Amino acid sequence: MKSYWLTWLILLVFTVVMLWADSASLPRSAFVVFMLAAMLTKASIIGANFMHLRFERATLALTVVVGLLVTATILYVLIAPDAARIHEMAGTYGPR
Amino acid sequence: MSHSASSTFDRWSGGTCPFDAGWRKVMMWWFIVTDGLLFAGFLAAYGYARLLAFHWPDQAEVFSLKYIAAMTFVLISSSATMATAVDAARKGARSTALRFILLTAAGGAIFLGMQAYEWSHLIAEGARLNANPWGDAAFGAYFFLLTGFHGTHVLTGVIILATTAIRTAMGRTQAEGVEMAGLYWHFVDLVWVFIFTLFYLL
Repeated sequence: MKSYWLTWLILLVFTVVMLWADSASLPRSAFVVFMLAAMLTKASIIGANFMHLRFERATLALTVVVGLLVTATILYVLIAPDAARIHEMAGTYGPR
Repeated sequence: MSHSASSTFDRWSGGTCPFDAGWRKVMMWWFIVTDGLLFAGFLAAYGYARLLAFHWPDQAEVFSLKYIAAMTFVLISSSATMATAVDAARKGARSTALRFILLTAAGGAIFLGMQAYEWSHLIAEGARLNANPWGDAAFGAYFFLLTGFHGTHVLTGVIILATTAIRTAMGRTQAEGVEMAGLYWHFVDLVWVFIFTLFYLL
């Protein structure tokens, strides 16, 4: 039971640090990288400790994590360049 | 054939479960993966709209980040109470499990109330699905889509928790039933981590 409240505390600390980073004037690229890393760390902590994935058989944990991450990455990687291209075209030919 | 290769073959040869988990838990995980992909699709579409936008509003001007942080605090705390409830149910401590399930449901209800206030406040300021006073029109659409879809999940979670609480009070829920409700609730918390970062902070 103790470990759940320790997890809770760690998640709260992460949230507070993320809010601090939002108010601090970090360079945009460093800010984005930091936020994405913090987000993925928080998600991993919830999955491992609250959802007990670290106690499950590796086949289940890997199926869930790899399945979600790979498919989500494909969505971003295939869509984002397309969006950037359209953005570039819109910049060339003027606002919609 | 080595021992490990033999046991791997045995697990995959049918009749046994390669995940070493009950069918309820495996089905709940499949649901979580597919529902997670739905949110991933929404967030990818949001990223697309954000790249396309000429003037995406500054979130700090639209939202009170302290208020959103308070909502996050409520949801994270409810996840901790839910994990405690699952632990108590596994140990057979029914009254403790019931108490923490009710606390979790209360946390969910508070989160929903806070979200309803946030929505009504933004609607009063002019936020609509197709327009808003702060910038690109897609901002309002994605705000209502993402938070609305997540809020619907929270509402469903509160209903599931209320049902689980009633069944636990009647002694009709096994530890696995509380665990399934817990998995769903933690998933709702997990999705909020992504929405909070990608929509409110970045």
